Amino acid sequence: MKLAAVVAALLMVLGFSSVAVAQTDCSKLVPASPWGPNDETGATNRVTPAVTKAAAAEIQEGKVIPLSYVLKDGVPLFGSRFTKTILTATTLAPGGALGENNLTYMEDTWLSQSHVGTHLDGMGHIGRQDCYYNRTAMGKYINQNYMTKLGLEHLKSFATRGVVIDAVKVFQAAGKLKTNSACKKPCLDKGTVITSADLQAGLKMYNVTLREGDIVVIHTGWGDLFEQFPAQNAVFNSGQPGIGKDAATWLISQKVVAVGSDNWAVEVIPGESPKEAFIVHNMLLTDNGIHIIENVRTDLIAAEADKTKRATFFFNMTVPRAYGLTGNFVGIDAIR
Amino acid sequence: MLAALCAVATALAAIESPLVAQERRYVVAFANLTEEPGLTLEGTGFTGREVRDSFVLAARSYPIDLVFYDNGRDCAGAPANVEDAIARKVDLFIQYCHQAPANAMVGEKLKAARIPVLAVNEAISDAPVYTLDNLAAGRLAGDALGAFATRTWRNQPVEGVIIGALTARGVPERARGAQERIVRHVAGARVASLDTQGNVGQVSPLLGKLLAARASSKILVAAMDDATALAAKSALESLGRLSDAAIVGQGLDRSIHGGMSDRKEIDPANRGSIVLGSVAFYLDRYGYEILPLAMRMLRGESVPARTVTPHRLVTAANVFFEYPPYDMQ
Repeated sequence: MKLAAVVAALLMVLGFSSVAVAQTDCSKLVPASPWGPNDETGATNRVTPAVTKAAAAEIQEGKVIPLSYVLKDGVPLFGSRFTKTILTATTLAPGGALGENNLTYMEDTWLSQSHVGTHLDGMGHIGRQDCYYNRTAMGKYINQNYMTKLGLEHLKSFATRGVVIDAVKVFQAAGKLKTNSACKKPCLDKGTVITSADLQAGLKMYNVTLREGDIVVIHTGWGDLFEQFPAQNAVFNSGQPGIGKDAATWLISQKVVAVGSDNWAVEVIPGESPKEAFIVHNMLLTDNGIHIIENVRTDLIAAEADKTKRATFFFNMTVPRAYGLTGNFVGIDAIR
Repeated sequence: MLAALCAVATALAAIESPLVAQERRYVVAFANLTEEPGLTLEGTGFTGREVRDSFVLAARSYPIDLVFYDNGRDCAGAPANVEDAIARKVDLFIQYCHQAPANAMVGEKLKAARIPVLAVNEAISDAPVYTLDNLAAGRLAGDALGAFATRTWRNQPVEGVIIGALTARGVPERARGAQERIVRHVAGARVASLDTQGNVGQVSPLLGKLLAARASSKILVAAMDDATALAAKSALESLGRLSDAAIVGQGLDRSIHGGMSDRKEIDPANRGSIVLGSVAFYLDRYGYEILPLAMRMLRGESVPARTVTPHRLVTAANVFFEYPPYDMQ
């Protein structure tokens, strides 16, 4: 009887464990990280001291060019996303100042989702089923408030070289630019697929060769609609030009750290296959730990590259070490 | 000598490979059934614009330059369209027209011009055809309704209703398929036919009259399109009979399913709806289905004589699998 109970218990354990394995065997869905089974960092592992030092050579004039949009009420946001600030300014009320020096102060409460405005997608943002970067079975590492694996706190530095690719110029030069009438400046229309050949043509325009650890910023002109907020929010959100699978594959092969663009998903929308959802996100983030940076302001750096015939810069961005977050809004500057 | 031959062969291969990779571009004409705004096709909620857009999007993945024509619903534009396409020396012509005489004329002219033709939803002599299957679509709806009744209303009186524009093109086959399968699942079930003649405003009075006479029955509603399915739900709601009915639509157009933010009736967060689902017709994916066939023809490969739309019942459980939403990121 006792033996039967032990055998039954053993069978139950085996049964449960096999079910658990079936649900969380991420080795079939996601590749292993090249930085080892415990890696939670991803492509910022490529930003070594040597990479940062080499990138510092890009700072020649001390000129700073913003790569982020101002985040304020009315900018395009997706669906139920929101960002709202509440100002606490009680000491400004009559009699509210403190001490003989009449000190006053103000603070903000920021009620916001993290993927708003110019923002970084972290390793925990996109998965395949419950499998995330480096075969992380995410179901075991989430609670109501945050992730306990793959959070932003694991990221290393983004102090590396940035390279702008002007897709508008590429398409103009090839005589294939189809713009959108809502754009005040030339832009690629929504649904336009940027291929690896387009990216390489853009690099060739400035005689740039990508190197391991670079961050690539693609100017599509679609950000012009973001700047027109709120007038063109619906058009901005209705689709976008962006990279397709072939371009993503090529960027992965170049071992970049991040890919940014002046639109809300970096990849082309509608996607190349109507049966796939945000497949480039899976390719870059889930499979290769390469960050995506959305709503990057690219028009100024593209104009600067055009004027100076130089498309490279020092990429200056810090990401809050916010525990367990899947991403966050960021401020970015190009320093030359 | 052998080494020299090998070297020559290698050199030739090196010369040839870029040519193979760099396939020539083809000009493909697509003569759409109609591009009249708001006019819907095939007894579904899809418009000609959606069909055309799907070709534009699908062509991004192929070395194809598209030339669009509008056959003008009754195919009055077909003669001029085919003449123009022949003058342009297009590589392939895709004809979407319901009129057999017009299609025969187009087929003959293209044959004389040695331009291959691919037909959509209506055969053109021996040309390959891509087509929907109304009977199969109706059967999927009938199966879904019948299985629901068997599961939910065992030992209760169950009846069926076929409702919609019952004489519209293709709809009689759709209705036959639905009826056939409802009866197969629910032995002895009566199935009534309610013809709205394409007027959705008729759904409520027709259904109301029927339900008044069937106060104690559970009702399986096979709606012949999505607009009718939604109107039927609304009617059942106002009659206080939501708990007595289940509905399946046909088409799966954008009136019945949406996205992450653009919520509609068939939605993962709305699994309790009495609209069990809708049978997908994928007219908004015709380009993705048809251009691969066109490419095979252009490359000289064989294609099936008849390729059928893979109709599928789409429910709250699989709608985001079938139609991944992109109003999110």
